[in-house]
Amino acid sequence: MNLPPVAIAWFGAMILFGVGLYGLLVVRNLIKLVVALQILAKAAMLAFVAAGYAQQQMGLAQSMIALIIVADTVVAVIALALAVQVRRRYGTLDVRQLTALRG
Amino acid sequence: MVVHPFLWLILIPLASAPLVYLAGRLGGSAVARGLALLALLLTGAPLIITAQDLISQATLTVALGMVQLKFDGLSLLLAVVALGLGACASVFSIPYMAGELGEEKYYAALLGMIGFIIGLGCAADLFNLWVWFEAMAVSSYMLVAFYRDQPASLEAGVKYLVQSAVGSVLVLLGIAAVFGETGRLTLNHTTTATTGLLAAGALMTVGFGVKAALVPLHTWLPDAHAQAPSGISAMLSGVVIEAGLIALLRAISPVLGEDSTARFGQLLLLFAVLNMTLGNVLALKQTQVKRMLAFSSLGHVGYMVLGFGAAAYTGQLAAAQGSMFHLLTHGLMKGLAFLSAGALLYALYVANGTHGPLTVQDLNGASQRYPLVALTLSVAVLGLAGLPPLAGFMSKWQIFVGGVQADDPLLVVLVVFAALNSVLSLAYYAPLVNALYRRVPSEAVQHGKAVSWAMMAPLVILSALVVVLGVWPALVDGLSGPAARALLAGWQ
Repeated sequence: MNLPPVAIAWFGAMILFGVGLYGLLVVRNLIKLVVALQILAKAAMLAFVAAGYAQQQMGLAQSMIALIIVADTVVAVIALALAVQVRRRYGTLDVRQLTALRG
Repeated sequence: MVVHPFLWLILIPLASAPLVYLAGRLGGSAVARGLALLALLLTGAPLIITAQDLISQATLTVALGMVQLKFDGLSLLLAVVALGLGACASVFSIPYMAGELGEEKYYAALLGMIGFIIGLGCAADLFNLWVWFEAMAVSSYMLVAFYRDQPASLEAGVKYLVQSAVGSVLVLLGIAAVFGETGRLTLNHTTTATTGLLAAGALMTVGFGVKAALVPLHTWLPDAHAQAPSGISAMLSGVVIEAGLIALLRAISPVLGEDSTARFGQLLLLFAVLNMTLGNVLALKQTQVKRMLAFSSLGHVGYMVLGFGAAAYTGQLAAAQGSMFHLLTHGLMKGLAFLSAGALLYALYVANGTHGPLTVQDLNGASQRYPLVALTLSVAVLGLAGLPPLAGFMSKWQIFVGGVQADDPLLVVLVVFAALNSVLSLAYYAPLVNALYRRVPSEAVQHGKAVSWAMMAPLVILSALVVVLGVWPALVDGLSGPAARALLAGWQ
């Protein structure tokens, strides 16, 4: 089988996306949840690589990916800071225990 | 290099945000407050200059290297709402947030959020739009979870962050699909819709839909809007979800082909029905005031989406203009409602050292001790319900007239449905007003503290605007008309 590189990259992005989404659905630990979010973001980055390669615009794609990495890191930092505070107030990182708000 | 003044509209809030933080760290929170207000006041000057320039030109453009920023009627509307409501929320927050831990961070993040929203309106390509959108989201995560010693705030923050982050990844995948399919990211061109582009459209609709609180994606909203500090609740409900909606409507334009604009309109109409129904029905059973107002935001997003959907479905400009008008009036009314509720929350609970929640029963007889706040809260909720001579009536009326004028049986049915929904919403707004004017004050009111003038000033200004726009709606035609034309221009 001889797949074109673009197809492999798209396929990889889809797999990463699936893994991240599955993680989000089953994981209960807040830190692992952040890891799942990171995997999802990596899927988007790989999709940009594929798109840039398909359009012969790797330079533009790379500059966009650099920005995504920055934005993604900021979100991860805030998520981890929230996790620290949740651990302090609730004494646990289990998201099932976060049940102050209902209805 | 000659830079058009509209760039200052973005630069002043963004540059002053870190300055406010540093000043607060070094000089104390009074300096931070003063500097934040000064920055917002200064931003008013480029806003006025830009608005005057926009009378003679449809769009203003600035190119920073490869990145283009474009200022049109829609950007102006978003900038006016963000800056106006932001200034009101900042003044309100001076007494409300005084003495809170990390007060300087609050003002810095608020200024940043205002700058990012104005920038979002100016983005001229898909990726740039995402960057502004993500930056706005990041600043709002920090503000939602601001009370970090409150478990409920943390929970709301976690829910908001996780859902928004997934939405943002979906948007990115959609952008990647557009880029891979067409090789360009500009926000205006027509194509015949291929399968890849339709998939991109679906991804972006879901992704931005999380932020715009389209109904199956709304579950974070009541928590986040109810748990944030009241000034931020006003910003989130009055501007941020609308900014998400505008981002969706702008981002979808490169994906829409000749025939798919009408189909996208049908999809929006479906969301409108879901939002109106679910928002109003769920608001009925809420006992906490801020949570009820948050659910009512869902319904109001529904009215806006109805107008935009009708515009996409039939190409009717009047419906889109009605929605733009409603975006403005909803910002004013919901901002006023959250700030008034916040003033009562502060007087009854925060000043006494607890964080509420403020329930409808607590409001009993509040008019006797807080006549002005009770009046402004009543103006806000009656305006939201759509009672004439208030602004909410005029903007809903404009959407409905626009929908009926399109002369399509489906739209007529939907307009009737929306009008009935509007009546249904009275069922939860009216008890609020009723409670405020009861004769026997509740226990919370009896132990309540005074409300300072700095909190009341924004309430008076906003309620005056709500009344004036209700009596004289043509006053803002110059804002809503160009905004609607700018939006529809992207779709053609």
